[in-house]
Amino acid sequence: MTKYVLKRLFFGICSIFVVAFIVMAMVFTAIDRETIFNDDQQISKLKYNELTMYKYRQWQKYGYLEYNLYSNFVSDKFQQKYGENYTEQDEYKEAVSCLNDENTYQNNATVKEFITDANSKKYEVIFLPKVVSKRGILQSNPVLFAKKERSTFSRLGSFIKNLIKVETIWDVKDDSLTDRYIRFQWDKRSNMPALVGSGTTHKYLIYFDNRFPFIHQNLVHINLSTSLVGMNAGKDVSDIMNESTGNLVRKDQVYPADIDEENPEYHLVSDDYHTVTYSENASDDDIKKYGDKYINASSLMSGFSRLNNSFVIGLIAVILAYLLGIPLGILMAKRKGKISDIIGNIYIVFIIAVPSLAYIFIFAAIGTNLFKLPYNWGLASNPTAAFILPIVSLSLPMMGALMKWVRRYMIDQQNADYVKFAKSQGLSKGEIFKKHISKNAFIYIVHSIPADILGCLTGAIITERIYQVPGVGGLLTNAITSYDNGIIVGATVFYSFLSIIAMILGDVLLAKYDPRISFDNKRG
Amino acid sequence: MDNTNLNKEPFSLEKVKTQSEDELFYFVDNKSINSERITAPRYSYWKSVFRIFFKSPLNWVLVGLFVLILIMSYIYPATTSFDQFKNLSDPTTFNLSPAQAINKFGFSFEYILGTGASGESIFLNVWFGARTSISLALACAAINMIVGVIMGAVWGYNKTVDAIMVVVYNIVSNVPYILLITILVYVIGHGFIQFIFALTITGWLSIAYFFRNQVLIIRGREYNLASKCLGTPLYKTVTKNILPFMTSVIMTILATEIPSYISSEVFLSYLGVGLNADIPSLGRMISSAQTSWTTYPWRFWAPVSVSALITIILYVLGQNLADASDPRTHMQ
Repeated sequence: MTKYVLKRLFFGICSIFVVAFIVMAMVFTAIDRETIFNDDQQISKLKYNELTMYKYRQWQKYGYLEYNLYSNFVSDKFQQKYGENYTEQDEYKEAVSCLNDENTYQNNATVKEFITDANSKKYEVIFLPKVVSKRGILQSNPVLFAKKERSTFSRLGSFIKNLIKVETIWDVKDDSLTDRYIRFQWDKRSNMPALVGSGTTHKYLIYFDNRFPFIHQNLVHINLSTSLVGMNAGKDVSDIMNESTGNLVRKDQVYPADIDEENPEYHLVSDDYHTVTYSENASDDDIKKYGDKYINASSLMSGFSRLNNSFVIGLIAVILAYLLGIPLGILMAKRKGKISDIIGNIYIVFIIAVPSLAYIFIFAAIGTNLFKLPYNWGLASNPTAAFILPIVSLSLPMMGALMKWVRRYMIDQQNADYVKFAKSQGLSKGEIFKKHISKNAFIYIVHSIPADILGCLTGAIITERIYQVPGVGGLLTNAITSYDNGIIVGATVFYSFLSIIAMILGDVLLAKYDPRISFDNKRG
Repeated sequence: MDNTNLNKEPFSLEKVKTQSEDELFYFVDNKSINSERITAPRYSYWKSVFRIFFKSPLNWVLVGLFVLILIMSYIYPATTSFDQFKNLSDPTTFNLSPAQAINKFGFSFEYILGTGASGESIFLNVWFGARTSISLALACAAINMIVGVIMGAVWGYNKTVDAIMVVVYNIVSNVPYILLITILVYVIGHGFIQFIFALTITGWLSIAYFFRNQVLIIRGREYNLASKCLGTPLYKTVTKNILPFMTSVIMTILATEIPSYISSEVFLSYLGVGLNADIPSLGRMISSAQTSWTTYPWRFWAPVSVSALITIILYVLGQNLADASDPRTHMQ
């Protein structure tokens, strides 16, 4: 069994990388790279060579290509040769100004060196001559650079290389920091032990606090690609998902430097001191307040993180769907052809046939008009009540699908030979249903339980958008519409990972539930 | 039959008494052709399917409704024209409720459902959109079913194909559907044909996978083993032994496929990757009205109820046809 699971996991992870490769190939080669500038305000302000270089800078940032500027090459070269005052050298001035003449610039020795260097690295050399207006005014300086398109393989390689990052005490590149360690320490803020590091990016590597899920870690980071666009620019996929939502919360807290004092002074601040990271240029005031150079703290927010919102809503919806869907499906199978079966069937047809967008709005209309439930998450006065409509909207369709399958399997099992035998042996109908039919019918249901639960982590696209829930459901669709290539790849890898884990867990659960199924031989 | 001469006259005891033995008994030849004849009632598969199907009055009603929808979405649009920007110059025609619209334009079917954000007739928009949706769903379902069934049959029957396709399926099924469609639609355009291509490029895979499993089950049955021993070629096994077995399964899938494409179109329009703006579609009507569904409810509920009506009718009809196409129900 373990061997089988490990084998499946290995092939699953291989297929995730293949998926990542396909998605990268699709995103970076199939879509015209000019589209990333569709909503860019900068584009209209720039002209001539500045515009071209801005585009190349963005493309390098997005991971389309790599380029080396001739100007950097020249500075590096002459700095090595002449030291600090290299800009005063005639040779340097000559190497820079030769670009002004587009016919003879290639005769310069430094340019020749740059071009041979670029060619040896298989870079393509591009020269943008200076732009002069009709009246002879210089519009744009000449630029010489070498570029190389990144292949999908190199992209995948760097993706895998950066995927998992463990914090070490050598992370901080500051020579003034001499005391480097990782040790367990009593954390007075939470009155719990914590793993504390010095020299690591985060100070608190493992710590407890009173916020869900109570134990937190900063030791291992999974880097699924960084966002480049909009509000989330610079954040990783996991950062976006774990980002807290809601409003700033101010709390009476003690500054980290004062925490060892007997009667410390309390301040009303919104910093979460457990999340502090190192900053090289910390001011004296900061060091006085924090005790060390770990000064960048994120803020305390009133809401859950995005992932938490989606997961809580999804999980409650799944539990409700199973709690109601299975008994209702059994009831329908028991009273086949009677009024309760007919009503159930009408409901199932409604859920399957009507577009999901339509019935979510129908639920929203009923909920807001009849039960006065809050519709918009952000405007809800009671935050708990805001959960109700999204949960109901997610749960009812899931319940319909479950009812359909439970009913189908129960009815199929009713005609099986063992049921006829049990009947002929004089077992009561209730006994047959409870002990024999339902046990066999649930085999089919069990397989999808892990997929349903893990599916909550991907969020619900339509439901979250309609009720404006700050969740993770819109992650991929928002990334697609804003051409946020990093997030597209990262989110896809995350979703594929979840679906593979769910498949394996489903099979394991099936084998545990039904002893006839075994994965140890090749039949499974 | 040969006993017809006995039925010529009614049997009477008086007459028998007067007849001789030669008149009473005669030899019947042993006709080899008659012994080969099977005396079962005539059975035609499709006739029985439709006999069972049209037994239920519900199906008559649904077929009637469906024909009505087809008339409204194919014949009615052909008799009139729809210009989204007809009333664009007159802001007083924007977002009129049905009652206001009838007050303004006088009673006509065109304005019976009110007007939209740029004064366009909701009634016309709904039926032009329904035409797009139904055509799209039928085209996608047809392509997916044909490719899916053929590929599934090959997939299930050939072990080399099976080994390759299972890997392909496992990988492709992990690429998010929305991502694939968005990129495809982005690269090849938002036109009607391109949209069908984007929806069907991987859509057939899941159907083929389902069929592969069904073929795997049926292929191992004894009658197929016997057929193989007798030397039936592969294509004949697939087309004569396996596919007829699955007519009702094909019908069941078709019943869920067609409505699901109408839903897909609505969903993709909502995400902003729908059809071109100049093609009227129910999906874009719904997504453009969803922000104002409390202020201008008619703009939202008209396309929602029409799309719901179409999908429910198609689904129930498909399910009932699938039930009727199961030969086990024909003996009733």
